[in-house]
Amino acid sequence: MNFFKLEINLIFKFVALTVTLFFSSISHSAEGGPCKDYGECDVFKYSLNDIESLQRGAATYINYCYGCHSLKYSRWGRVASDLQIPEDIFFENLVFDKSIKPGDLMTGSMPEEESAKWFGVAPPDLTLVSRYKGDDWIYSYLRAYYEDASKQYGVNNLVYPGTAMPNVLMALQGNQRLVCKDIPVLAKNGGEKRDDQGNTITKEKCGFLEVEEGTGALNKEEFDSLIYDLTNFLVYVGEPIKATRERIGWYVVFYFLIFTALSSLLYREFHKDYNMKKGKA
Amino acid sequence: MTEIAGKLFSWLNTRLPIVNTFERHLSKHPVPSKVNFWYLFGALAAVTLIIQIVTGIWLIMPYSNTEEQAFSSIEYIMRDVDYGWVIRYMHTTGASLFFAVVYLHMFRGLLYGSYQKPKELVWIFGCTIYLAMMAEGFLGYVLPYGQMSYWGAQVIISLFGAIPYIGESLELWVRGDYYISGITVSRFFALHVVALPLVLIALVFLHLVALHEVGAGNPEGVDIEEFLDDDGVPLDSVPFFPYKVLNALVAIGVFMTVFSIIMFFFPEGGGYFIEMANFEEANPLVTPDHIAPVWYYAPFYTMLRAIPDPLGGLIVMAAGVAIFFIVPWLDRSKVASIRYKGIYSKIAITLFGVSFLTLGYLGTVGVTEVRKTMSVVCTVIYFAYFLLMPIYTKYETTKEVPDRL
Repeated sequence: MNFFKLEINLIFKFVALTVTLFFSSISHSAEGGPCKDYGECDVFKYSLNDIESLQRGAATYINYCYGCHSLKYSRWGRVASDLQIPEDIFFENLVFDKSIKPGDLMTGSMPEEESAKWFGVAPPDLTLVSRYKGDDWIYSYLRAYYEDASKQYGVNNLVYPGTAMPNVLMALQGNQRLVCKDIPVLAKNGGEKRDDQGNTITKEKCGFLEVEEGTGALNKEEFDSLIYDLTNFLVYVGEPIKATRERIGWYVVFYFLIFTALSSLLYREFHKDYNMKKGKA
Repeated sequence: MTEIAGKLFSWLNTRLPIVNTFERHLSKHPVPSKVNFWYLFGALAAVTLIIQIVTGIWLIMPYSNTEEQAFSSIEYIMRDVDYGWVIRYMHTTGASLFFAVVYLHMFRGLLYGSYQKPKELVWIFGCTIYLAMMAEGFLGYVLPYGQMSYWGAQVIISLFGAIPYIGESLELWVRGDYYISGITVSRFFALHVVALPLVLIALVFLHLVALHEVGAGNPEGVDIEEFLDDDGVPLDSVPFFPYKVLNALVAIGVFMTVFSIIMFFFPEGGGYFIEMANFEEANPLVTPDHIAPVWYYAPFYTMLRAIPDPLGGLIVMAAGVAIFFIVPWLDRSKVASIRYKGIYSKIAITLFGVSFLTLGYLGTVGVTEVRKTMSVVCTVIYFAYFLLMPIYTKYETTKEVPDRL
């Protein structure tokens, strides 16, 4: 493979220079992250094969969110069948308007004009929210409400400061507040700094979220898992085919790997043949 | 039975040049016997073009080119049309990979001097294909009518407004309305699915006819026509069919593996192939925080932003694409391939590559002071590569090119 050498040399130089330039420009970036005052968004890992999680998420969505937020590109029957909920049980428990048929779109029940008056803005349709905001964002946002008496609904949000949405899930979560805490000061080597008596040196830092004990129906783990299921459901509804797509993908990739192997064998065979002919002539 | 088939074939062949064409362009068409992987991207570009045309035809069937339904018809394709998502993701992945493959194909041309005499026309047809692709890609990106479709189109169409005297009327004429609306969508649809594909196919045909007339190049820059066997066939050649076709088949296998990994596991390409903001329906009242073009336009978008004056930016950006057309006359080197060119050419093409990639990166992120300086520096390097080419290719010491491959 002589003739690759020169190019590989060139490519190496390329990569080295590009990488240095990239890093120098990235380190100077001054943009805030998508989760704003919250800092880095919490990482969300969807699990679309966990049907029970999706079912719980769908129930939470329909009970707490659907009143204001439609899912207008999604159909009732599709959700029921994808989430493996028998249609009669689904329609009995989750569809409140009895005139709705399985093929209908989930267009919501709130008149847009009125709702714009009530909330300042009409609550957006959320079918694709996981695709334009991202699942990390949703998972962080729904857990980042805090008490703020200066706001219309008495709450504000670290991820979306000034959000127009009240904390609908407050009865479950409880009253979350921003608190200050004494945090150990870290030395340069990463260990905690101590004074002469061996006590940890601390410094007060603010902006921590803490739920007032006993104010919510769920504890922190239970609430986080509720939001996990809800976010998981929104990931599903953003692209209902996602789980199937990833499953089929393995077969297709496998097919093309075999295709590549066979075609390269064929190529080699033809070349052997050709070289032989040339040698004879 | 075979007799009838034979008769039918000869009846056809006396009326259509079937055997002639097959021999001339495939089974007896000589191509260099030794080339490297850089020479496979042309075939891959052809494959991608076919994918785009076929998936495009199927997308037209359920798509609705009206302001009210454009966005929701895409979701209809993704949700309610059987395997609509396969077709749509093939088309979006295909668009990005088409550009990726064509960029590599063009870079190959610069590396091995695939524009040098007598291949000037092959190169120019190629540049025109690239230009048509840029237009085609832009028009197509508007069709889903998401936020980025809307605001991207807003930015690009307003570029016409920077042209003196006729700018504003031109802008209005292109848009067909005082702001981007259903009228814009439906005319872009017509151009995207009929006009530009016709242009592209015609150009690809010319690109190939011209190529077959002058013969394909090789990474050594050797003229294989100099040493012929008794039948007049170049000694360092193999027939295109089946040898090159099989070679391309292997490449297609690798390419389709990559294609399907992206399409089935990362169809949004981390927000570079389908931008996240485009999952929100177009809203003329809300500007997205950050309007970024898709990655394949990013280098030129950075050039546009690097110049503070809109008209100046437009001129620099247009020049950035147009300059490719005159490369055959900028290169004064005695040799074609980078392997035999001198050190200046090697440094120049490396810097060019780095600046192009950096311009691309800068086009997808927000502007800071450092990045602004970097975009100007990279734009200067980009143009210096071309404009200084007549000097550094002429006055450098080149290596001796061998006679044979």
